[in-house]
Order: sequence, then C-alpha cells, then structure tokens
Amino acid sequence: MQLSLRSHRPTSGMPQQGKRLWWALAVVVPAFLLLTGRLWQLQILNGAMYFERTTDNFIKERRIVPIRGRIVDHHGKTLVDSRPAFNVYADPRKYQEKVHDRLIAMLAIRTDRATSAWRRASVAIADRRRRPVLLFEDVSWQQMASIEQGASLLPGVSVRDTPRRLYPYGQLASHVLGYMKEITRRELEQWSDDGYKPGDYVGRYGLEMRWERTLRGTDGTERFVENARGARVADAEADELIEGDRLTPPEPGRTLVLTLDLDLQQIVQKALGDHPAAGVAVVEVKTGRIRALVSKPGFDSNMMTGRVTSSALKAMNDSPYKPFLDKTLKLHYYPGSTFKFVTTLAALESKLQHPNHVTTCNYSVRVADRIFHCNRRHGPVAMADAMSQSCNVYFYELSQVVGIDRIADVARDFGFGSPTGLDLNGDVRGRVPNKAFYEERGTFRVGYTLNTAIGQGDVEVGVLQLALAYAAIANGGRLWLPQLVERVVSATGNVLKEYPARLRHRLHVSEESLLELRRGLFGTVNDKKGTAYSHRIEGLLVAGKTGTAQIRGGRREAPAGSAWHPQRDHAWFAGYAPADDPELAIVVLIEHGGSGGRVAAPIAMRILREYYALKTTAAARGGAP
Amino acid sequence: MNIQTVLQLFRRHFDWTLALTIMAISLLGLLNLYSATRYVPQRGLFQQQIVWLGLGALCFLVFALIDYRTWLRASWILLILGILALIGVMMFGHTVNRSTRWLGIGSFGGQPSEFIKVAVILDLARLVHDRGSGMTLIDLATRVGALVLVFVLIAIQPDMGTAVMVGLICLSILFLMARNVRWLLRGAGLFCLSAPFLWKYVIWEHVLRPKQKGRILAVLDPSSDPAGLAWQGRQSVFAIGSGQGTGKGFMQGTQNKLNLVPEQMTDFPFSVWAEEWGFAGSMVFLLLYFVLIFWTLNVASETRDRFGATLCCGVAAFIFWHVFANISMVIGIAPVVGVTLPLVSYGGSSMLTFFIALGLVASVSIRRHARA
Repeated sequence: MQLSLRSHRPTSGMPQQGKRLWWALAVVVPAFLLLTGRLWQLQILNGAMYFERTTDNFIKERRIVPIRGRIVDHHGKTLVDSRPAFNVYADPRKYQEKVHDRLIAMLAIRTDRATSAWRRASVAIADRRRRPVLLFEDVSWQQMASIEQGASLLPGVSVRDTPRRLYPYGQLASHVLGYMKEITRRELEQWSDDGYKPGDYVGRYGLEMRWERTLRGTDGTERFVENARGARVADAEADELIEGDRLTPPEPGRTLVLTLDLDLQQIVQKALGDHPAAGVAVVEVKTGRIRALVSKPGFDSNMMTGRVTSSALKAMNDSPYKPFLDKTLKLHYYPGSTFKFVTTLAALESKLQHPNHVTTCNYSVRVADRIFHCNRRHGPVAMADAMSQSCNVYFYELSQVVGIDRIADVARDFGFGSPTGLDLNGDVRGRVPNKAFYEERGTFRVGYTLNTAIGQGDVEVGVLQLALAYAAIANGGRLWLPQLVERVVSATGNVLKEYPARLRHRLHVSEESLLELRRGLFGTVNDKKGTAYSHRIEGLLVAGKTGTAQIRGGRREAPAGSAWHPQRDHAWFAGYAPADDPELAIVVLIEHGGSGGRVAAPIAMRILREYYALKTTAAARGGAP
Repeated sequence: MNIQTVLQLFRRHFDWTLALTIMAISLLGLLNLYSATRYVPQRGLFQQQIVWLGLGALCFLVFALIDYRTWLRASWILLILGILALIGVMMFGHTVNRSTRWLGIGSFGGQPSEFIKVAVILDLARLVHDRGSGMTLIDLATRVGALVLVFVLIAIQPDMGTAVMVGLICLSILFLMARNVRWLLRGAGLFCLSAPFLWKYVIWEHVLRPKQKGRILAVLDPSSDPAGLAWQGRQSVFAIGSGQGTGKGFMQGTQNKLNLVPEQMTDFPFSVWAEEWGFAGSMVFLLLYFVLIFWTLNVASETRDRFGATLCCGVAAFIFWHVFANISMVIGIAPVVGVTLPLVSYGGSSMLTFFIALGLVASVSIRRHARA
C-alpha cells in the first residue's frame, strides 16, 4: 500500500498536495476512537452488568381471563353468574413432598384428594416441567387465607383466582341454560385464533354453548419481568424493559337477558310434583317469547360444569327418564287429541263439513273391516262438542270426509314437521304423514287417515312446537319464531343488541274458522261435559285441549295409577289463557303419565292459577310482576 | 477508449483493496441480517437483501467500468432529476412512520433522498472542478441554491437524519477541497461561537419537533424518560453491553430474539452484531469501515484531477458520517435518527446508493495511474 500523504505531486487533485488528508484523519481517527472507547465501556467495563440484566430477565405474559357474562331472566334476576374461585398451584421446580404434607395439614384435605394431587405434582417434578400444576380446585376463603399466611413455609405454592360458573338454582331450567366443560383438543385447534387456551371452559350445552362467544368476553394480558430466580421484578424496573402498556384489562363477557320468567319457571317446576319425566312450554301468545321451558328431569349445571364422577354420569345416562335429552326440543311424541284442532281446521277451511253437522258416537266405528274405538259413548255430537269432549268417532268420520292430505297441509302450516327455529338442544322436526308418506312405504290405507286425525299413527310433535301452534290459534293466526334471548347487555349495563319478536309466517286459516275452533277449546275447560271441566279455575278463563297419546303396543300391561311406566300413555294438555284475551299459551306433557284430562290438565291449571295469583299480588304491591 | 482498452485497464488496475473491503463488510452484514431477521414477524427479508446485494455488486461493477468523467457534464442533470423525485415524494409519496420518504410505482419503490446523495457529491465535485475556469457568481449561487433546496426538501419529509447527512457531506467536501481555507475556518469559528445561541433560540424553539427533542434529551439523560422515547436506545445499549468481550454467539442474542431492539434490521443491525459477537466483533466492523474510509481518501490523494479527488472525498465523507451517526446512535451517544449503516442495513435504496458511490470510487481508482 502506497500512502501518498507525504508525497508532493504537483499534479494531484487534492489542494496543497494532500495535506488536507491530515485534516480528514484528524476527524475520522478521533471519531473511531470515541466509538471504540464507548464500546469498551459498554462491553468490557460494564458488560457483566448488562449481561446479567438481559439474560436473567424474562418478559412474561400472564393472561387475565375475563369474567363470563351473566344470564338473567326477563326481570333481571340472575340465573347464571360467575363467582371468584381459588385454585392452588404448585411450581414443580420448587415443590417437595415435605411441603405437600405441610400444605395438606394446613388445609385439612382428605387423604384421597391429597394423594392424587401429589401424584400429579410428582410427575411434573420428575419431568422437570416449569408450568405450575393444579393441586386443588376451588378452595375456600379460609383455606386460601391460611396459604397466604403460611407462604414462607410453602415454597412453590401459589393461589390463583379463576372465575367459576355458578348456577344458583341448580337444576332449574338446566336444559335452557346448559353447562360448561373443559375445551376439547379439537375445539382448541379450531378456535385457537380466538384466544382459547388449554384448560379453558366452554359452553357445552344449552345457551352456554349457543351463546359462547357473547358470554365469553375478551382476554386481557399483564406483562411482567421475571429474573433468573423466578422472582418478579418490581414494576418500575419492569417498565424499562417492556415496551408499551404493561396491562391490557380483559373485557368482561356480555349479559344475556332472557325472555324466561324465573317465578314462572319455579312454579312449573313445583307443579310437576313427583312426575319424573315431563316437558312444559309456556309461550307469550302475542310475541312467541318463551316464558318458561322445563324438561324434567334436569341436571345440576354446577355439577356438570365441575368434575363429574363417571359413576354419576353413567347413572344419568342409563336413567330411563333420559335427563340429557331435552323433552321440549330434542324429543317428539304422539300428540294424541291435542292434534284434533288440525283436523277441525282442515274441515272448516275446506268447508267440507258444517260445524253444526252432528255425528252420533256409539263407542266404536267400523272402517275398512277394522274397528276403531272411542274413549266412551258420547251420543250425538257437533264439532265444538266433539272437540271439548274429545270424541274420536266424530273425528274418524270427519277425517274420511277431509282426507289425510288436507290434514297434513294444515299441520305443516302450523309448523309441525319442521324445526321451530330456536336452534337449541336439537330442535327436531317431528313428523306429519300424508298420503305420499305412506305410499312410499307401501300401500296407503284409510286407517292411517283415521289415526292421523286423532294425533296417533305416525304423527309426532315437540312440546315447544305444539305451544307455538296453540299460541297461533289464540292470536288469530300468527306463527311466531320462538325467542329465548331478549337483549344482550354489556357488563356495564348498556344495551348492545335488542332482539324483537320475529314472525315465522301468517297461517292460511280464516278468522271465522279460528273462532269456531276456539269455541271448542273453550268448552274443554268451561263446558260441563268438557274433559278438563273439573279442573277449571275460579276467576281465570282457560281454553285448551287434553290429550292421551297411546303408546304403540302399550296400555294393556300398564298398572293402574299415574306413575311413570313405559307402557302407559303420555298425558297432554295444550291451551291458552285468559281465553277472552289470550296472553300465554301452555303445553304440559307428562311422559307416560296416563290420562291427559286427569294428569296433565290439573298441572297446567295449577301453573296458570299460581302465575296469575303471583301477578295479581305483585300488581297490588305496585311493582312489576 | 474502446471496450478492449477499458477491460485491459480493469484487469491491470482493478482496486482489490477496495473491492475486498466492501465484500467483507457486506458479507458480514448479510450474516448479521440473517440473525436480525430471524425473529421479526416479516418473512423473506433475508432473501430480499440477497437480491439487493447482488444488484448492488452489479451497480458497483458497472460504475467502475464507466469512466467517472462521463458524469462530469451530466451531474447537474442528475441533481435536477433528484430534486424532481423529491418533489414527487412530497406530492405522491408513501408515508411510513409519519414520514413521507417513499416513491413507488407498483411494488417497485425507492427513497430518492438516498440516491440524491450521489448526485450531490457529483455536483459538488463539478463545482470544485469548475472553479477558476470562468465560473460566475450567478453559477455559484444556482449551485448553492440547488443544494439548499435538496436539504430543505429532505428536511420537510421529515427526515432530519438524512438532511443532516447531506449537510455534513457538503461541509466536509468544502473543508477538504476549498482553495483557501482561511475563510472557512473563520466561518467555522463564528459558527462555534454562535452555536449555543442558535441552538437555544432558533433550532430548539422553532425547528425541532417534540419527538426529536425527546430523543436528544434521552441521550443527555437516559433516565429522564425510560419507558418512552429513550426506550429504543436503551434496549440497544443493553443488548450491546451484554455482548461483553466475545459475544453471545451467532443467533444467540437474547435481546434480538425477544425483539427488544427495535428496527434491528434497518437502523440497529450493529446492536445485533455487537450483542452476538461482542467487543471483538465490534472492533472487526470498525476496522473494516476505517480501512474503507482511509483507502477512499488515499485514492483521492493520488488522483490527479480535481473532479475525481473531490468525488472520492465526498464518498469518504458520505460513508464516514453514516457509520459515525449510526453507531453513535446505536451505542447511545447520539439521538436516535434514522441513518443507515453502510452496506449492512436492510433496504434497497440505501444499499444501491452505497454501491454506486463506491463504484465511482473504484472508477477513479482504476484510472488514477493512467494519464488523462
């Protein structure tokens, strides 16, 4: 390298023969020395200090789980809440058997729980895991306090609060509200973008599942700095290491305001008494809003959300009463005589039989070489009488005039044979047979028409379906979409979304036909010969229809009484009240309960009586019901 | 000169010192960038940089082959094109981080404020070359006016860092190439005396934005605003210091991994390097830059024509100020301004500009022995 700093070339481009280069170096060299000096200071003199502060500090993120939204009834009474719960964790890096024994003694925990907790902890210790192990879930305030006090004796033990779901009424409305379960691996894979983490609880049934995202809320995060020893660095120092906010608060879940009325729900629950299996739906006639929806037996949502022992689960699964099947939505039944209104309307709309036409009931009738029976000898009956007294013979005759397809058309118009649109717990279609239905399966016989006319044979309906149909009879032909959620409200109380009542469609029946039909339904309860006359309520006009749905191949073997028996008939009552200005439609189904008039009707009456009594006293007190 | 003679010249006089130094710096830079882009969310930055590097090497060769004197008469055209591009940026530019620096057509874009540095150097070289040969006062005024315009256009983007770089390059060339330095020295003396007042009453009060003031205060007193503006600089200092003597090892920088050092591939690559390779690695880089600057100045001193000499001085100043400003900022002795580290920082505009500038130096170097 030939440096020319001292060479004197007259032809050089540099002024004064490159002397200025010294000037340049006089700036460049000190500048580089300055940089070198500073690097020496940082990396050599103070390097160890910086090294410790960088490698020993870990920025950690802690997720703050949002409080799940509440579920409240129409009047704002809490149906589902979240309460703080304390879980005890062990850090596998510090936890020891000695500490475990001390902890057990301190908390007075049963030995079986203690040993299973130690088994979990010892596995994590052996595997040298870092993630804390859950020792005990949901310990009491006192236990939590004693851990906090004895913290110095319990290295590696920590208590964290995690919100826990609380269903204060246990089994009440359990099918509607549902329950929660730990997230499955598959759900975790599908929803990982939405912030779900292993160990999270998600809605697994009922509204908890259907409205999971609304109820859940959004995670918050807290970022903090831990040094190599696992101790948390003071916040002021941590701020230097963390960019941006240390704390992002969680956004609590939203509150669901239901159309359900807690009082009515309780009244229904009580009125069902000892009957082990039943379904009840109470629907607001003018809106389709569900005021009560009971499927019995229920289950304790608190228990289902926690740890259920396999024996308890097996007992519930094996139960003949099928607690996990929603009897208002998932199962369907023969409607029996409650279905006769469809046949009536089919006749009135087609004008094939005048309502005053009289048929004489002689207990039985022979059609196509088969004998079809009535429940008793009614004598001469016109249309309204046939409804209120539930005369089968009248409908056998009528159905032959009208034909199965007209009956099926009216039934479909009323929403039978298709889901109600609630989109919860199954919401089955049910079944409405017509001529084509039987021709597909073989030959059509007139007997099918006769059975269909009285809600037997192959007709199957759901409890809520039937309630909405009776609401449509009462309100002049408007079939509503059922509604359970009225509003979504933020945790701070702002209404975020309001759900108005939605009409499914207007029925293709005239007001005159409905008037004639309602006359018959009114007679069921208010006419001396009506099937529910003996259960009428003083001061409240109820209209409706009883039903005793026969079980295929059943009845004969069934013992006397109304206790649940697989061979016994289903007892129905479907109706609305007050008859002169309908407000509520009600359907009561007592599974294998026997006679509708004797078993279901009194329960429906009791529900209505108690509800209106409560309403009156509440009104007298000046408050809302 | 035909192609044959150019190639012959190229073979005989190719400046291997310059080329190898450049190669060493850019390859180490690439290695470092691999680590620096490993933990950032964006993908494909490393591959992109390889493309830029290839294009840069090509530019270097092309500009080395072309006789630098070709640019003598074209320098003012380049400057006008550059100014038009800057005006274009002002009108249609992309805004990144609240500063409008980018001009793009489709996915192809660039920062004219980088490329214009070469045009400024070429134009100043021509100014020096032309002096005494009948240059009127009006000529001088237009030239100086154009340079001031460039400075202002960059400053209002706002890109104070680049504007100051342009200013420093101009001043450096004047100091090194002026015939009579006495007036310059007097001017400098006057500036030094008035600087405190100028600083306090003009720049501080009327020119600087709060963010820039914050960054300056952060250097003077690092604890004044630990969570906010000084945060970037502090993280960088932590990372560098923790590298100690020999570093944490390639791809082992904890601060880099945690993405604690901001903009680690564009403005702070040196912080990643110093964390992973320690004081020893830092020294290697400083030495390579020193050799590059020293050698460029050496070429300047050996060149017989004034245009070539000024060109080399300008490029030397260009590299020196960038290295000094960038590393000072990274090690926490200067405010955080967006100035790239030559041949190392991620980014096409900066990369190509440095390669073009060094290509010009190579062109001068090859031809310095031949008789003009």
